[in-house]
Amino acid sequence: MKLILAKIKVLSPSIRHFTLAPVSGTLPVAGAGAHVVLEIAGPGRVWKNAYSIISAPGAATYEIVVRRVEMSRGGSAWLHDHAQIGKVIEVQPPQNLFTPPRTARKHLLLSAGIGITPFLSYLHVPGLNYEWHHCGKAEDAAAFKALLPDAAHVTLHTGRNALNLAALLAAQKLDTHLSLCGPEAFMDFALATAEHAGWPAQKIHKESFGGATGGEPFTVHLRRSGHTINVGADQSLLDALEAAGLAPPCLCRGGACGECKLPVLAGVPAHHDHYLSATERAANDAIMICVSRAQTQELVLDF
Amino acid sequence: MGNKSRPIYAPFKLDVTGRAHLIVTNLAEPPLELAEGFDDITVWTVKTIGRGIPAPAAPGLRPFRAVAELLPQLAVRLAQATVGLRLYAIGSEAFIWDAFNVAITAGLDKAEIFVHHAGPLVRRVYCTHCRTMIEDVAADITPCPACGAHLFVRDHFSRRLAAFMGVIVDAEVPGEVPAAEALTS
Ligand code: FES
Repeated sequence: MKLILAKIKVLSPSIRHFTLAPVSGTLPVAGAGAHVVLEIAGPGRVWKNAYSIISAPGAATYEIVVRRVEMSRGGSAWLHDHAQIGKVIEVQPPQNLFTPPRTARKHLLLSAGIGITPFLSYLHVPGLNYEWHHCGKAEDAAAFKALLPDAAHVTLHTGRNALNLAALLAAQKLDTHLSLCGPEAFMDFALATAEHAGWPAQKIHKESFGGATGGEPFTVHLRRSGHTINVGADQSLLDALEAAGLAPPCLCRGGACGECKLPVLAGVPAHHDHYLSATERAANDAIMICVSRAQTQELVLDF
Repeated sequence: MGNKSRPIYAPFKLDVTGRAHLIVTNLAEPPLELAEGFDDITVWTVKTIGRGIPAPAAPGLRPFRAVAELLPQLAVRLAQATVGLRLYAIGSEAFIWDAFNVAITAGLDKAEIFVHHAGPLVRRVYCTHCRTMIEDVAADITPCPACGAHLFVRDHFSRRLAAFMGVIVDAEVPGEVPAAEALTS
């Protein structure tokens, strides 16, 4: 569908708030936790980036908050540097892979950086019982303060070691579920801390956007379709396949949903996802192509 | 055999991913050797020494006089406990699934609960005729103390009721009740 950029608000030098309105008609309803994929046409390529919808379900517009990523993910740079009000953008209908877990009586929300966005949509759920801890860099404090509700059960942590995560996780009652969203290093740390405190995987829910940070270029051979494709330093494997005209399965584009898993026939993947278990990672026979790359110069996939 | 509604129990073992472990049993002793190397283990038993006086407690051990006292205390304990706890219920199927249901109500996930069938081969039977629960049935045919029906104890187990289904055995020809046999599983 085509949406028009209706409003741009600068929250910090690297964080902006965009409002997207339908060119005609009304928007599909997006519930708490939903995201949209924007197709941003850059010079010679299209970036497909997923962003959480922070506006209320049924609102007339979709609102998203975007951090400008230096490396790769050129779409966010375009939104910051070139997007202008009135610009029409191709947007895929919303998907929801991160609804608040139904069996939780209390939600412990833990986010870092731009991982703040899915939980902003949770605020629209009436009567949601939650405690939210958000971690951010000091220079973004003002932007996050503007986005976070001013409530006793919402805490913004800036600076190193501001949050004692181990103590927080060890103090939660048995009817609490943990929801996580943030950059890869944050997710890794939070998951390891939760595991150490004895949290079962069934009570941990996670979403990560913007996990594709780029890296060394490599070559991928697709055994079934016979393609050989070069993956550039500022491109994800998924982006590269799409640029070659292929349509591999994908949903979250952030290493969380499991949709884009492909079998690895040769070469060693560099895993950056939060979907595969430690055992599956160690087996090195599958890769989440939206965020993971290669440790070897070449990778052969069954696709 | 092969009855889908009959739960299958894995051998008892403590879950290494847990931070604390609570073992509850309706037996006088938990029928197991507790593994070394686990710090935080509590065991709740049902044990009396004559006339309903609870046995003295050793460290980490809390004897109750009756299951009817243990289960409400389990709800209280779980409401205070923090994530990282694993619950193990050991004993009769009626007891372990009652404990399981208390734990689910308290917010535990199935992955945090382990049930293990042990002790005498007795079943709680649900009279499908008058909905009475009959405790400690040891034979495959039993009279219902409430409505007098002769019930055949099926292998069909309801986890919600923590009971086996008892169906009228002489529905076709009233009074024709086959001889009862001891339960073997
Ligand atoms: S698209 Fe969701 S894990 Fe890759």
